[in-house]
Order: sequence, then structure tokens, then C-alpha cells
Amino acid sequence: MARVMMPRDTRLGDRLVPFLSTLCFVLVSVVPLQIPGFAAVTPSFALMAVFHWTSYRPDLLPLTAVFVLGLLLDLLNGSPYLGVAALTLILARTAVLNGRRYFANGTFAVLWLGFLAIAAGAFAFDWALVSLLYGTVLGTRPFVFEAALTVACYPVGSYVLVRLHRAFVRTSTA
Amino acid sequence: MRISAPVRAAAQRLTLPTLVFAAGMLTVLGKADILLIDRLRGVVADAAAPVLQLLAEPMAGAAGIVDKVTDIVAVYRQNELLRVENRRLLQWQEVALRLAAENKSLRDLEKLVPDKAVSILAARVIADSGGAYLRNVLVNAGARDGVARGQAALTGEGLVGRIAEVGQRTARVLLLTDLNSHIPVTIERTGQRALLDGDNSDRPRLVFLEPKAAVVAGDRILTSGSGGAFPPGLPVGVALAATNGVSRVEPYAELSRLEMVRIVDYGMTGVLPQNAVPPSRPPRPAKPRVADVQQ
Repeated sequence: MARVMMPRDTRLGDRLVPFLSTLCFVLVSVVPLQIPGFAAVTPSFALMAVFHWTSYRPDLLPLTAVFVLGLLLDLLNGSPYLGVAALTLILARTAVLNGRRYFANGTFAVLWLGFLAIAAGAFAFDWALVSLLYGTVLGTRPFVFEAALTVACYPVGSYVLVRLHRAFVRTSTA
Repeated sequence: MRISAPVRAAAQRLTLPTLVFAAGMLTVLGKADILLIDRLRGVVADAAAPVLQLLAEPMAGAAGIVDKVTDIVAVYRQNELLRVENRRLLQWQEVALRLAAENKSLRDLEKLVPDKAVSILAARVIADSGGAYLRNVLVNAGARDGVARGQAALTGEGLVGRIAEVGQRTARVLLLTDLNSHIPVTIERTGQRALLDGDNSDRPRLVFLEPKAAVVAGDRILTSGSGGAFPPGLPVGVALAATNGVSRVEPYAELSRLEMVRIVDYGMTGVLPQNAVPPSRPPRPAKPRVADVQQ
């Protein structure tokens, strides 16, 4: 019904699902999973959602929305440095925007490889920025591990996002 | 609203630099311990608490199932261990009974004033930071339950950390593994003082305050009570063999899978800067409440 009644550009699913799904991914990334050693490094689900929506429908998850969600992540994870996740995510979005021609039109392997590149960049940036803020060179291990875990878990996140995408949002830009 | 294309393009070009600048400003403001940001943290955590709690409980349930399976597999070995432990505990019981009797007689002798009662509150962990450089958890008890900055958080095994931020219904526990955690401890065997400094690894490092101090693997590490943050004698962990001159401590509490913590108020809020603490309302006395009534 709604499909017929509403003009294409203002469909509710189009406008809400990218934001809400990214919000859910932000929340999930702070929910304690009681697996030994896992709490220390949880995959960055937020990065997966930002990557997905920016690759396929950047118009539906604008820069400002990414900033707000990043800030929420900063507030929820208790970082002493507010704005670090927000900054990382908006820069990641900008990078994805420049590479989306390659990511979005290839096979899943290409998309995954694209995510690997973005995640590597994001975590390297995070490490450098946080080290700078703390005024000490932080160990790279947790960052490398979290990046690897994030990339490894991407197919799962991607699967959920693609299902949501197909169910509620038009697949391509008009 | 229709905006002409060039204006829109210009605005779009400006969004990124503006937001980058905003993020930078927030980083500075957040670090400056501004009351507003502190409040904002509390408010956001409070608002997210119901959703997080909803998500956290099934996770705990799933972890419980995994635990049960592991337990069944390990039941024989555990039984052996428990037998040994039971024998040892029976010995301790005897010691305790003897000490209790001795204590009683000494009390009668001295008319000792008993220690001020402490308040203990059980709280559920509803979120953890999950970041590569953050070690903290959010619990579902806050200012309205009487939680205040500086209180100790423990599990049955040992110290977990201290309360670093307080919202109305949530509080954040800075784990002893966080880079910002520095806890005065003492080595039980020698009585020497040290600081237990978190460095984001699972095992915080010991920084000795006395020149000749050293530990051997297996030394018990307790809070020292200096700095006034915690009372002395809370169990923290076991010292590990030093590697490259760095001594590390294996915490007693399993910090990577915290489900419930006890927040204990010993009436000591020592080493934390108090200027940034929001004026905490005294807890409502009419309704004493355990934060998590098992639903």
C-alpha cells in the first residue's frame, strides 16, 4: 500500500532503515558478549553499517547522521575522548564515498576487500589519534586484532544489512 | 525546502570540515572535565539503559548455556579439584573458628567500636566499551541507588575497578586494566607498596614505589588503602613471573566476562578529582533497592 501511495523519494523505509540499522549496530557493539577475551575487542559493527550504506545508498545515510551516530558510540563506550569515533566514522564515510564505484559494483569479494582497506585505514587512524591524545604510543595489538575481527565478521554484518536493505529500501539510487 | 544547486553543493562541501572541527572541539571539551559533557554522558547512558539491558540479558543467557556445556565436560576434573579445595577449606574453617573465639574474647576485653557499616549493591553489567583502547563497563545502578564516583566495584573473586561516571540509573566502572586506572596496592607477602597501572592489556603492570621491591610469581596483591580510594585488603590478583623486568598481575576477577558486580561504598572517595562530579543527590532513603531484581 505504502509503496503505491507515497512518492518514491520519501518512502519511510528509505529514510529510516539506514539510520535505524546503523543505530542498532552501534548499540550491539557495546552489548557485553560474555565470551572470554571478547569484551576487550568487539568488532566495530558501526563501521560495517556505515560502509554498507555509504557503498550502496550514501544519500540515505548523510554525513551528519554518521557524525551523530559516531558521537552516540563515543558517549556509550565511555571514551575519555569524545568525538574520536565520530571523527573516525565521518572520515571512513568520506573514504568509502570515493571508493564506492569499485566496492558496490563488483562481487562480494571485491566489496569485502574494500571493507578490509577501509577498516585498516580506520583502525590505523584510530590508533594514531588515540596514541596522540594519550601522549603515549599505544600497543598496536588490540587495534590490529579488533580490525581483523571486524573484517572477519563483515560477512555476517553484511548479510543482515543486505536483508534489511532488500526488505525496506530500494536497491539503487534512482 | 528547495535550495538552489550551487548553494547546496557549497553547503555539502562545508559539512565535512565543519563536522571534523566539531569532533575536535568535543574531544577537547570532553577531556576538560566539563560538567555539561559529564551530564550528557550520564543522560545518554540512562536513556540507552533499557535497550542495552534488553539486549544484555539474552547474551548472558547464551553465555550460561555455553558455561553449562563446558561444566559438564569438565565435571570429573572439577570434582577432584573441589575435593582438594574442600579439605583445605575445612582446615581454614577450623582456623576461622579459633580466630572468631579469640576475637570475641579480645572484643570483650577492649570494648571495640565496630566498623562503620558499608553499603553493598548488586548491579548488572549492561554494556562494555568494546573498543581497542577502552576498558570499562556500564552497570544498571546509578545516583538514585546511592552509587557515587570512587566507589569500589567487585565480584566474588576480587576487585574489578572503580566507579568513574555516574548517571541517574547507570554508572560506569573503570576496570583496573584501563590505561587510566592506577590503583595503590600492596604485596601481601612483603607488605611493600606498589601501583597497579592498567595498560589496556588483560594483565595490569605493577609499578613499585620502593626501590628494592619485587614480587615472585604467586604473590597475592591486595589494595593498600593509600590514596583513600579503597579500604586496604581487598583482593586484586596474583603476581606473575616478571618478563623483561615488568611485573604483571593476573586479576582474580574475570574482567572479560563480567555479568554482575557488587558496588561497595566504604565511605571513601579519595583520589578522584571531585570538581567535575555532579552534585549527587543523597539516595532516597524511603526505597532501599537492589538495582537488579532478577526478572
